[in-house]
Amino acid sequence: MSERGLRISGLTASVEGTEILKGIDLVVPPGSVQALMGPNGSGKSTLAFSIAGHPSYTVGGGSVTVDGEEMIGVAPDKRAKAGLFLSFQYPAAIPGVSVANFIRTARQAVKPDDLTPSKFRAMIFEKLDVLDMDAAFLSRYVNDGFSGGEKKRLEMLQLAMLAPKYAILDETDSGLDVDALKAVGASVNALRQSDAGKDIGFLIITHYPRILQYITADAVHIMMDGRVVKSGGPELANVIEREGYDKIREEVAASVG
Amino acid sequence: MSGNSDVAATGVGKNALAALLAHQGEGSIPEAMRYDALARYEELPVRGGLRGGRTWKHDLTNLDLSTIVAFDPAGTELDLETLSPDARRAGVTIERFSIARERHRDAFERAFGHAVDTRDDKFASLALAFASRGVFIDVPAGVIVDEPLVVGYEARETALFPYTLVALGEGARATVVERLAGVDSSPLVCGLVEMVLAARAQLTYAVDQRLSMKTRTIITRRATLGEGAQVDVSFAELGGMHVVSRFRALASGRGSRASVVALFFSDGNQHVDIETETVHAAADTRSETIVRSAGTDRGQGRYLGNIKILEGAHGADASLRDDALLLSEHAHIDSVPALEIAANDVKAFHGATVGAISEEEIFYAQSRGITRVDAERMIALGFFEPAVARFPLGELRDEIRTALENKIAPKTVLHSV
Repeated sequence: MSERGLRISGLTASVEGTEILKGIDLVVPPGSVQALMGPNGSGKSTLAFSIAGHPSYTVGGGSVTVDGEEMIGVAPDKRAKAGLFLSFQYPAAIPGVSVANFIRTARQAVKPDDLTPSKFRAMIFEKLDVLDMDAAFLSRYVNDGFSGGEKKRLEMLQLAMLAPKYAILDETDSGLDVDALKAVGASVNALRQSDAGKDIGFLIITHYPRILQYITADAVHIMMDGRVVKSGGPELANVIEREGYDKIREEVAASVG
Repeated sequence: MSGNSDVAATGVGKNALAALLAHQGEGSIPEAMRYDALARYEELPVRGGLRGGRTWKHDLTNLDLSTIVAFDPAGTELDLETLSPDARRAGVTIERFSIARERHRDAFERAFGHAVDTRDDKFASLALAFASRGVFIDVPAGVIVDEPLVVGYEARETALFPYTLVALGEGARATVVERLAGVDSSPLVCGLVEMVLAARAQLTYAVDQRLSMKTRTIITRRATLGEGAQVDVSFAELGGMHVVSRFRALASGRGSRASVVALFFSDGNQHVDIETETVHAAADTRSETIVRSAGTDRGQGRYLGNIKILEGAHGADASLRDDALLLSEHAHIDSVPALEIAANDVKAFHGATVGAISEEEIFYAQSRGITRVDAERMIALGFFEPAVARFPLGELRDEIRTALENKIAPKTVLHSV
């Protein structure tokens, strides 16, 4: 069982011929919360999309394994079935497809026939409640005309309903007001306290440390220019909060120079 | 030879019409009116024609009707819903033309020819000349019919010329569902539908066209609206080899409203032409048009959408939204929305898109574990949903969804990034 975890090693990736990830090593053990912080353009979202298998991101080398199973070269839906979940920074709208229908189809795809329709209903209402969302939400079309906060709540609703092994939250806090941020935090914490969610490993990608006030990280990693340049305990987030990224950038430059 | 009278003349000329009349007598439509209509059919040119040099697989200009048999002497290809006792007591009529003209002569003659003008219309004239399956629906003033009134036409080996006439009295309300189905060997369905709405009448009219993929169909539907009347029409044109479906609403009464919804999905070698026109001829009239279409395989289609706001139609409010989805690189859909405005202080909007399924939507669904094929099917069905949702009756909506799904199911899909 030494292979358990979401393990990223030596991962390089490019977009339209430009190399963005220059060798990423990162491990998300089951049940842990790993925060990945970094300034804009450092490659955080590229990492998220490369792990999830977005076709526009070309992986050059390295590996991504989910409990020992290689994900590179595998179709995005098979990665989801292996236990990966990505909460999108900018989720796509799918007009004409209701939230309920979408989540039911997704749940059926990743965990076939494990819930009766009535248990599914009970479960989704419970999760809606935690997120402070109305049942009317379920009949709306996926992300169609949603506010920023509604989109992120829907991502969290899907996370809770799909209960993956590993979840990547890409800038879930960006553009959220305090109420929405609290709802996101409450949803993640409720999930982590549930039987279905206690072993989920989280990779929380963020620019600002404020989401970490609601979800406690076990470790913080700093990413710059396509590499993880520093890792530490939760206190590292406070350093970023106080001093920004410049100081770390200088430190890294000094150690390289 | 007496035996010859049983052999119907082929084609749609005078001999064929004479054979039809010899069989069924003058019936509900006067003989002279039919011969006049036939003369117009023969004289009038095919409207429209080709644009932009594109050659369409099917076009009315090269339509050859010389070998078809214009009527079925045995013909019973009509399925009428039986009215509930309540509806019958309230005076609602749903009858074949021949019976309607005997028993409800005044109401029939008030409505007949009121919405359709065949004078300068080639195929409406043809439909009138050979009309052999007529249905008259009459809802008296103030009567609200809860049950849907279903008119089902079944096309057989001979051409079918259906004629549906719907008349709603003042403040009357009804829902009519027109179903068209048929066998593979049915060559042609050429029909007319008239909807005549008195003041404040409300008609919901849905068409579920599921003819064989070998049948040609040319149907002209027209509605006239009295003051404050409202018509909600929805067309699902899913069958047919070559479909020409034309609708015009004439909002002639002040404050009248029209909602027009149409969808088609050309697959195989299908070609679907849909034309809708809303004429705002009075003040404070409103209209909304929503069209969704898709093409796959070598399917083709055209949508011509026209909104006319006539002089004096102050305060008119019209919108037209038309979106097309291409699922194969060999499919082609043309979309031509147009506005003609001759009044001041009106609101008018139109917008049209043609595109493929977005790669970002597919990836989003795939990232949730849904396979690419299932994601494409889900997104394509979702594309139609805003139109499907506007059809009356849950059962009908589900049937349309299933028919759409069957067209999508095994096909390859084209993407855009």
